[in-house]
Amino acid sequence: MQTISAVFAYTLKEHVRHKAWLSSALFGLVLLGGSLIVSALGQDERARLMLDLGLAAIEVIALVGIVFLTVNLILQEVESRAIFLILTHPVRRADYLLGRFLGTVAAVALGMAGMALMHAAFLSLYGWWEPGRYAAALGCMLGKTAVMGALSLLLSIALTSEAAAMAFAVFLWTLGHFSSEMRFLADRSGSAFLKTAIVAFSHAAPDFARFNYRDFWHQTAPGGDWLAWTAVYALAYTAACLTLAVQLFEQKEF
Amino acid sequence: MNAIRFQRVSKIYRRSHLGRTTETAGLLDLDLDIPRGEVFGLLGLNGSGKTTAIKLLMGLHLPTKGEVETLGRRAPDVAVLARIGYAPEAAYLNKTLTGRENLRLFAALSGIPSAERERRVSEMLEKVGLGKAMDMRLSEYSKGMLQRASLAQALVHGPELVILDEPVTGLDPLAIKEVRVLILWLKSKGKTVLFSSHDISEVERVCDRIGILSGGRLVKVMKQDEWRGKADALEAAFTAAVVRTDGVGPIRME
Repeated sequence: MQTISAVFAYTLKEHVRHKAWLSSALFGLVLLGGSLIVSALGQDERARLMLDLGLAAIEVIALVGIVFLTVNLILQEVESRAIFLILTHPVRRADYLLGRFLGTVAAVALGMAGMALMHAAFLSLYGWWEPGRYAAALGCMLGKTAVMGALSLLLSIALTSEAAAMAFAVFLWTLGHFSSEMRFLADRSGSAFLKTAIVAFSHAAPDFARFNYRDFWHQTAPGGDWLAWTAVYALAYTAACLTLAVQLFEQKEF
Repeated sequence: MNAIRFQRVSKIYRRSHLGRTTETAGLLDLDLDIPRGEVFGLLGLNGSGKTTAIKLLMGLHLPTKGEVETLGRRAPDVAVLARIGYAPEAAYLNKTLTGRENLRLFAALSGIPSAERERRVSEMLEKVGLGKAMDMRLSEYSKGMLQRASLAQALVHGPELVILDEPVTGLDPLAIKEVRVLILWLKSKGKTVLFSSHDISEVERVCDRIGILSGGRLVKVMKQDEWRGKADALEAAFTAAVVRTDGVGPIRME
């Protein structure tokens, strides 16, 4: 535990010093631009648009951030050889990987919290205030971010190329939003092989549509069960990716 | 009792590119025992296998054949790393941290309890002459200061076995003398020291025994009494034992 917390702390510090907070500044610009655009609309429409625009921007900025940071997380330490000194101390590789991953997710979560505070302040100016549902939407986004981070980390260790890992991560992120469409496509396919391949792939790829709390925004809010299953799915998928990443990382020589 | 034991150890590097596999021998059939309390120097040209031998001891590489033991435990063994201090040929440290944060990290990774950590960190930084620079970021350190920070992380946990990979390469004469004094101090405390070097004059001043590596093979082992008091005995033995394997010819200015 001491090892994980030490690696976690230095990873978080490293990201903060590498100006991970710039994501919040970028988001501030999105908010200002968005408010100028929607200022011509009526009061209700303004709040709805600012809500959708703000949450979408938080999600995209967080996802770009987590993919970029996790893809480089281990590869840069290998390139700078800083990993030599860490792994020549009594550190299990699984603990190192977990500490690095959690530190990165925490850095992105801090950025998300900064963006959410600004966003909530803007929304309250437009007269919108539903903190419970807003927190649930943010929690779902954090789940998606953690899954994407674990997947990007796995890809970076498997492919050992930043560009290839980033390209695959973006590909899987896009496909992950179309799991049900893929299964629909498989049902329509005439080839048994293609059908099996698509179904297998749709189950193996992360189901990001599952995290879209925003889809229910203008309907009845999903219950606690829905949120609990989403959390279980995020934890299970993240754990599976990290377990595979550790298996690969254990085989590596430096 | 041996601190280090290599038993018929070979390390072959395999690289595959476009379906073609090339093999390079890092070490070949290395048999070597280093008893506790001894200062042992590994001498050799570039690419002779010095760093490979050290990486095998530290668990950064796995042997292709044979067995490596450190402090009675078969490598790689994560737990035994708490009793070993390692400083690589360059200070591969995370430059975003300060000297104190960096050493605090390695103290935590080495298992030093938090109650004791701060005192040990400050003491060690004072001992290596970084007392006044401990709160500066490593990115602002000079090469000599980084080398000291690297030595500090190798010694902060009071290891029984200290492994130094080319510790004097690139240092000024004063710093070289300080490293020499450090090695002799470690010897006086009963520690085992293994260090690799190109510098014959440094090795002959501090070592009890030396091993000469050439082309991945241990071609000669000498005791101190074979060179002490005999001018150029070690240099002559070294020149006679090594063969260039890197495809570079001698410099001839005629």
